[in-house]
Amino acid sequence: MKVDIDSLRPLLLSVEKPSRYTGGEFGSPALKESELDFCLCFPDLYEVGMSNLGIKIVAESLLKSGFCADFCFAPAEDFGQGLKKRGVPLYSLGLKKPLAEFDILGFSMQFELSYTNLLYMLDLAGIPLLSKDRKNGNYPLITIGGPCAVNPEPLADFVDLVFIGDGERVDADVARLYLKHGGKTAEFYAAASKLDGVYIPALTKPVYENGKIIRFDGIAKVKKAQVQNLDEEVFPETFAVPNCESVHDRAVIEVMRGCYRGCRFCQAGFIYRPVRPRSVEKLTGQACSLINSTGYNEVSLNSLSTGDYPDLRGLLKSLKENLPNGTRLALPSLRVDSFEGDFAQDSRRVSLTFAPEAGSQRLRNVINKDITEEEILRAAESAFDQGYSAVKLYFMMGLPTERDEDLKEIGKICAYIKGAYRKKPRKKQLRISVSCSTFIPKPFTPFQWEEQISKEQMEQRRRALIDGMKAKGVILNWSDDFTAELEAVLARGDRKLGKAILFAYLNGCIFDGWDNRLNKDGWEKAFGQAGITPRDYTRSRGEDEILPWDFIDIGVTKKFLLSEKKRAYAGEVTGSCLDSCKGCGMQKSCPAATKQTL
Amino acid sequence: MIAFRYTKTDGAEYLSHLDLLRHICRTFKRAGIELKHSEGFNPHPRIYMNNPLGLGIKSVAEYCAADCEFGGDFSAAFNACSPDGIKCTAYKIFDFNPNYAYTVKSCSYTAEGIDGFDPDKFFSRAQIVITDKRGREVDIRRRVLSLSQDGGKTAFTLGCGENNLRPDLFCEFLESEFGGATRGLIKVSADGDYTF
Repeated sequence: MKVDIDSLRPLLLSVEKPSRYTGGEFGSPALKESELDFCLCFPDLYEVGMSNLGIKIVAESLLKSGFCADFCFAPAEDFGQGLKKRGVPLYSLGLKKPLAEFDILGFSMQFELSYTNLLYMLDLAGIPLLSKDRKNGNYPLITIGGPCAVNPEPLADFVDLVFIGDGERVDADVARLYLKHGGKTAEFYAAASKLDGVYIPALTKPVYENGKIIRFDGIAKVKKAQVQNLDEEVFPETFAVPNCESVHDRAVIEVMRGCYRGCRFCQAGFIYRPVRPRSVEKLTGQACSLINSTGYNEVSLNSLSTGDYPDLRGLLKSLKENLPNGTRLALPSLRVDSFEGDFAQDSRRVSLTFAPEAGSQRLRNVINKDITEEEILRAAESAFDQGYSAVKLYFMMGLPTERDEDLKEIGKICAYIKGAYRKKPRKKQLRISVSCSTFIPKPFTPFQWEEQISKEQMEQRRRALIDGMKAKGVILNWSDDFTAELEAVLARGDRKLGKAILFAYLNGCIFDGWDNRLNKDGWEKAFGQAGITPRDYTRSRGEDEILPWDFIDIGVTKKFLLSEKKRAYAGEVTGSCLDSCKGCGMQKSCPAATKQTL
Repeated sequence: MIAFRYTKTDGAEYLSHLDLLRHICRTFKRAGIELKHSEGFNPHPRIYMNNPLGLGIKSVAEYCAADCEFGGDFSAAFNACSPDGIKCTAYKIFDFNPNYAYTVKSCSYTAEGIDGFDPDKFFSRAQIVITDKRGREVDIRRRVLSLSQDGGKTAFTLGCGENNLRPDLFCEFLESEFGGATRGLIKVSADGDYTF
């Protein structure tokens, strides 16, 4: 069955941005049903999902293996309700096929506040939300992947299979096993569970005693999937150009995967290890192919820290020589210390973003963000000399060992930056904006045992930050306290939390990450209904405690994370993997470590 | 200047005017046809479209003029790189800007599903006041230039520019007056000094 778009015309005319739902993007492959149809589902709006590179890479790997790979995004509420009212099931964009008729659905979980949207999409598709309710019946295999999959336990009740690590390594293998074993059979699950990067929640059972996990029964260790050489892996030659403007409407190349820095609060810095760069030649080819086929005039050089790319100068030179004239290069993740004149992005850009993350040097050492105030000021000054007149600064509050003095130092940095701007006469007035988000201790970081500060503490620390802000005209933003707590609870959750997520959805919570949609009452009620106390999840955890995500082997050892935690408390900086190998546990597969030992 | 007529069908009718402009610029880029840019602080491509079509209305008579130089078969080059539903059906070279936003004076549409009526009765009225999308009362009588019915098909020509009237709004009026439910509304031609 196909959903007839023409029959949805009255609905399309009544909603915001109807082109989100019509498909037919330029550059999208002409899809045909295959022996196995996979739909990549993104639990956020079209504009957000269309900017995501991960789902494009996974789709490419499935297409290359001869499977059908379609897309579906979470519809905004107006369209979602309209579908429900008309009894039309949620459908894919390419084939316009109801999601329930696919063989496998793969949800890309990019951040915790999209968990209820997974349920929203299943519900709109007419698929039972709980895995156990889908056992009898011809429903697709529901899978998740993406960064949130490193702690999949809160979603364990809803999903059948979890992809952990690099999806392109294992997705097609799972599809082949699905075919071989005739669908969602016990044989299929048993065979899939043997693959690196595959976790079947039904085959692992956390055992509790006095509310704490004492062991995992069944499969007690799941290793992540890992690609070794990105140059040999798939990458889309073209992108589907979104019908309506997406949040990052441009070509994107993935310069490298992983980060050498190991900032102790950063989950991505640990779960994407080891660092695997692509070659200049490969990246140039990919960028040219994307620019020529899409008509974009900007390429973004994505990675967790593009300034650390081993041959950034060579890459920029090669891109400038080979891309059509006038193509802009965007370097979104440059560290302060790699900011130099010739990296200047587009000369007409006016705003520059720095992420010192903590106000004082002491606290920056604790979090292993080894940049100094001098470096920030030097980089800012050199940017001002090139004509930049606005600075955005990102900080966190609630970091381990944080004191009021650390937050007051944020004000000092702003005052120094103002001073640096005033050193020379400049045409425009300087604009500084400071974003201070609440720290969320995430799994697989050295801070995974830390507590998240309470809402009262958040209020108190914010006051310290405001008190310390003597410089005038600084725009101050902070994250919503409830949202920060919710994100921490979901990130550190265990299997029991699934109940709360289900209740939250039933209470009307969707698009939790959108300020205007967050339904605080719905969540608070859901916690009550599920018998969950959020503080149980944001509290500090003992080093000997078994954590809900401990059965997943992300490659970085717990021993290393613990040693990093100790160094944090001692205020010791560990530094970049490029200087020397720190022995995180991934030495055998780490290109940088192998080079150093040669 | 290359002026071209193109379609907005097959799903492209749901694109907003700004998104459509973006898609046309990208089509030029993919086709390797360089657009001339304005020379201000924020250079923008010198591309001029006719007045925006209401969201969801199909058309086979959109016009656009682009400041560029191109020697070959423009239709073939454009259509090879344009999204579904945005296809060039004719083109012409001008040595000035035909500026369709100003020079198109009227547009013709067809629609199905409106119950039978006598067009003469419509024209015999001196004034026809409806409420537009912004809640204002407007007299549409002089904005309707022709109206006829042949079998199940209603054809009409509406004013553009100063005398603009949205075709979907007009169909709503016809429905309220004569009954029926509009289907298959489509813009079939545009009339002005430089249309073709």
